[in-house]
Amino acid sequence: MQSQATIAGTTRATLLSKGIQLASALFLGIVVLYGSGFVQSSEVHNAAHDMRHAAGFPCH
Amino acid sequence: MLFRRIIFAALLVGGLSGLLLSAVQRWQVIPIINAAEQFENARIPQAARAASEEAPAHSHGDHSHAAHEHEAGAWEPAEGVERIGFTVLANVLAAFGFALMMMAAMAMVVRQQALAPRRTAPRLDWRYGLLWGVAGYMVFFLAPSLGHPPEIPGSVAAPLGARQLWWMLAAGCTAAGLAVTVFGRSPWRWGGLALLALPHVIGVPESGMSPFVGFPADVAADMNRLARQFVWATALANAAFWLALGGLSGWAIQRFVAKSVV
Repeated sequence: MQSQATIAGTTRATLLSKGIQLASALFLGIVVLYGSGFVQSSEVHNAAHDMRHAAGFPCH
Repeated sequence: MLFRRIIFAALLVGGLSGLLLSAVQRWQVIPIINAAEQFENARIPQAARAASEEAPAHSHGDHSHAAHEHEAGAWEPAEGVERIGFTVLANVLAAFGFALMMMAAMAMVVRQQALAPRRTAPRLDWRYGLLWGVAGYMVFFLAPSLGHPPEIPGSVAAPLGARQLWWMLAAGCTAAGLAVTVFGRSPWRWGGLALLALPHVIGVPESGMSPFVGFPADVAADMNRLARQFVWATALANAAFWLALGGLSGWAIQRFVAKSVV
């Protein structure tokens, strides 16, 4: 945990950009998960088939 | 840079927990999938065709045909090492995605806490991470499985797109409901629990048919038994996975990310 002094020394712009970085990481996580678990193209489905069944994702 | 740190930590955590998941799966989940695929070829072709014609708007065309739903000509990994390799890769990739989401959310909570301190700051460590792992298991496995249990290959179900959408609804509502209840500050936060029930009130899309229509009665009985085993096997494998993912995430966020969050 950071001290109050450090926080006060951080500019608002940096804080905003850190928020955006965290949101981007979250969004990237959703994209990766969608790609591996939900894309319906035959090749992707066949490659990830066993993982999808085992993870409880609807598979076919 | 914060973003890069989270990516790096998620690669590490996703890699480790994805490999662990692959090992547990190999031992108790994959044999059930293989057994079900053996049975799949025993489906009576005419009955299967009739079933697939009755099925309401199958998104996957004639997917209940004997030879699985794999479209003719589409690439698929060869049996053996190649198939196992792609399953491990898919596990690691999904684990990386889960780890990214979990650690980004954790970092948001840490940041919120640093900007507006509350009395009870969580101590970041693997134990704190385990709580997140339990939440992840509820969000991404338990809640969707309550409506739509993990299914073995060969079973007939409602159209894929509708079930995928319901899965996302269940995961999204459970995540939002838990977040509001745990992190909310007003007394109304307990209303977040209603969100947990919402997808189940709406109800999972049903095919209106027995999942093993088109199989001889004795095979259908065997597949029913396999399907029950599969629910328990996946519940265990995913529990181990989520505890590992959560614990490792808690450790990694403290070790690699927390300092650059604010």
